[in-house]
Amino acid sequence: MNRWYLLALLLLLAVPASAAEGIPGDADADGTLARAEYASAALAYLDAAYMNGAGDLDRDDIRDAAWVYARWDGKPREVTDSTGRTVTLYRPLRRVVTFSGESLETLRSLGFDMDKVVAVDKYSYEKETFFPGYQEKANVGSIWSPDMEKVLILRPDTIILYATISTAACDDIQKRLEASSPGIRVLRFDCFKPTTYAGEIRTIASIIDETERGEEFASFYGSTMDRIRDGTADIPDDEKTRVYFEYWFDYTTVAASAGYNEKTELAGGKNPFATGTTEYPVVDPEAIIVADPEVVVKLAGQGLAVGGYAGHDPEALDAIRSALLDRPGWSRISAVKDDRVHVIHSDILGGAQHFIGTAYLAKWFYPDRFSDLDPHAIHQRYLTGFQGIDFDLASQGTFVYP
Amino acid sequence: MIGLPANRLFCLVLLFLFVPAAACGAPVTRTLSAAEPGAGEVFDVSLSIDGIALGGVVETLPAGYAFAGTDHPDDRVLVRGQKIGFTVMNDTRITYSVTAPASGSGDITGTWEDFLGESDGQVAASHVAVDGIETAAESAGEKPAAQEAASPFAALAAAAALLLAGWGGRR
Repeated sequence: MNRWYLLALLLLLAVPASAAEGIPGDADADGTLARAEYASAALAYLDAAYMNGAGDLDRDDIRDAAWVYARWDGKPREVTDSTGRTVTLYRPLRRVVTFSGESLETLRSLGFDMDKVVAVDKYSYEKETFFPGYQEKANVGSIWSPDMEKVLILRPDTIILYATISTAACDDIQKRLEASSPGIRVLRFDCFKPTTYAGEIRTIASIIDETERGEEFASFYGSTMDRIRDGTADIPDDEKTRVYFEYWFDYTTVAASAGYNEKTELAGGKNPFATGTTEYPVVDPEAIIVADPEVVVKLAGQGLAVGGYAGHDPEALDAIRSALLDRPGWSRISAVKDDRVHVIHSDILGGAQHFIGTAYLAKWFYPDRFSDLDPHAIHQRYLTGFQGIDFDLASQGTFVYP
Repeated sequence: MIGLPANRLFCLVLLFLFVPAAACGAPVTRTLSAAEPGAGEVFDVSLSIDGIALGGVVETLPAGYAFAGTDHPDDRVLVRGQKIGFTVMNDTRITYSVTAPASGSGDITGTWEDFLGESDGQVAASHVAVDGIETAAESAGEKPAAQEAASPFAALAAAAALLLAGWGGRR
């Protein structure tokens, strides 16, 4: 079949069940599902489903109506996502496609019924250890190369995209979906930024009606971040620990606009290369030696190659560290002389788990100030208590070295 | 041989497999004021509901038996032939009345749905027979899953497993 005909057919089929705006069962269409309306809708559903009667409400409709009636007080829920756009929800999330691993992880933290996530981005799909079983869900590619046909075939009612990164790619996906599937809900969250994550946790919790769990998780997250902020608040700028943070690539650091710099500074680090507009500038090797960092942090985890959740592989991180120590002239750097060269995996610093990585940074930068901070314990509690995965940090994964 | 721990474990596994859901944790259970009513007698059927905030129950009466009323609010009851639909809104008990025919027997069957919990199932069947006399009349409804789970075979298998486990334990 001609590809365009196929796509046109898909578009016709793609309008999701919940596309029509309005609460199911709201007979007078006044935007509120009153008790009598709900009761009538429930009876009509039972009649159609079991009593050979006629009716146009299906099982999803009545379940959605019950949700709105019980949990949203019969009214639609308005939420403002991280782009500042207000979205009105007339039904709960039932068929969700996430293009953001961070949002997917946050949904799991909040106790969302993950069976309702029908497709994930390719990176989450490939993380078999962290997202076990998700390989049975559909893989819709990345925001840069989305499989739009597959998205449409899945008939999602909600799509989650990034808010403030890769905005052109996400805008394009949103535009195409809203054109083909009227009523589809596009929600945009980052879920990796320290400045906005606590708010996003609460907003997403409100959407899925897990506000109590949201408060619990936001408090857990906030207690770590507040501990770090409070522990570094009184350090004068000229007494802050000088840190050379190296990105995945050799001699590539992070400037002021990079998320990793934000976390470095949150932990009380002073980045001598923070100036400049390039997010990840390449630095002159000699300039690093001249800057004489007190701590060196090297990021590992490019392409899921070593460590992180992919495997227990401290030797690999040790090799990365050894290569740093062997660099010409580095024996003169204070961090090397004082044995303060560390490797950290991006799994715990770049995404929704940034609070764990930032706790490690704080501890490395100020071991005395943060002697009571236990990032390992925080990490394990996150995995067991919020992610709900069977992952024992004592024997699985490698996230920092040493 | 039966006394070996592995065999006893096997028997216990059998027991758990065949003692059906009907015996534990069903959110809707039914009791009758009379299982052997007299001809034309009105008897009560009581549905006990546990843990369903918003949902529904549809009951099916045997042929000849007729719905005679309920204390459930009018706008949450629908009768169509032998079927009676009730919407559940935080109710823990629904009672309705049935008029028995001049003669006849069969099963009252039921289906429940929990809309918020997104689950559904069968209410275990209740047998009724006018004056206790069995007739060839069939239940108007389909045989429910819970009833199938509690089939004679399952009961027999459970009893056998119990006996075997007990025998093994004495050796």
